[in-house]
Amino acid sequence: MAPAPTPTPTPAADADKRASFEREALVHLDSLYRVALRLTGNPADADDLVQETILKAYRAWHQFEQGTNAKGWLLTILRHAFINEYRRRTRHPETVDLDAIEPYSVFEDLQEEDPQGAFFDRIVDDEVLRAIDELPEQFRETVVLSDVEGLSYEEIARVLDVPVGTVKSRLFRGRRMLQGKLYDYAVGMGYIKGNPA
Amino acid sequence: MNCRECTEHLYEFLDREVTPELERDIRQHLAECPPCGEHFDFERLFLDFLRARCRAQGAPPELKRRILRDLFGE
Repeated sequence: MAPAPTPTPTPAADADKRASFEREALVHLDSLYRVALRLTGNPADADDLVQETILKAYRAWHQFEQGTNAKGWLLTILRHAFINEYRRRTRHPETVDLDAIEPYSVFEDLQEEDPQGAFFDRIVDDEVLRAIDELPEQFRETVVLSDVEGLSYEEIARVLDVPVGTVKSRLFRGRRMLQGKLYDYAVGMGYIKGNPA
Repeated sequence: MNCRECTEHLYEFLDREVTPELERDIRQHLAECPPCGEHFDFERLFLDFLRARCRAQGAPPELKRRILRDLFGE
């Protein structure tokens, strides 16, 4: 589909554009910031990344198809900006050998001691965010889009430009890795005894 | 459906991304298999926990002001 022509700016058109942008795009600022923070790993870069994303989105607002998912559209812009400009200098893209990651459930170790997962209640927010930040990037972004931002598999696939099957396998492995990290942390803190094996 | 097949669809089921047929098969297996039922309950708790822990944070007010200033000169 050819991009819609840029409307000639008039005061009335500007006011309309502003109103629709505020209503449909700016309401997602908190989501954009949370994802930016997990991608860049620091608040200063997250600020800049969100600001750049919003400015790009505002310039391209006439191309946004009204009535479709603005959050997904904005997150796609954010992710492209991150890949193009931030990733190189903030974190090194990791190469991950998928087969080397055993999707192991901590439930097997906990079913005697804490099958209800009561130890989760003792783990604070910062510790969870730190564990997410330690995930390899492709798992981190998938887990964040799903578990923090609540996107559907289809929406995540569109933002990341991968098949839905890839989203499923990354979520499976990413969540299991995260569980493992939080379990190790809880054992280290003495919240649970864990499996001595 | 056996335990392995059921566990393969664990997260799809908890994320409500399965077809109605598959959902019915999984529910039936979970009702008949207490170990799988407990495992699924645990994983659901884990996902609820993740969501609760990660959503509190929002964009700083200063960033919101900066963006409004850049966009609309305010």
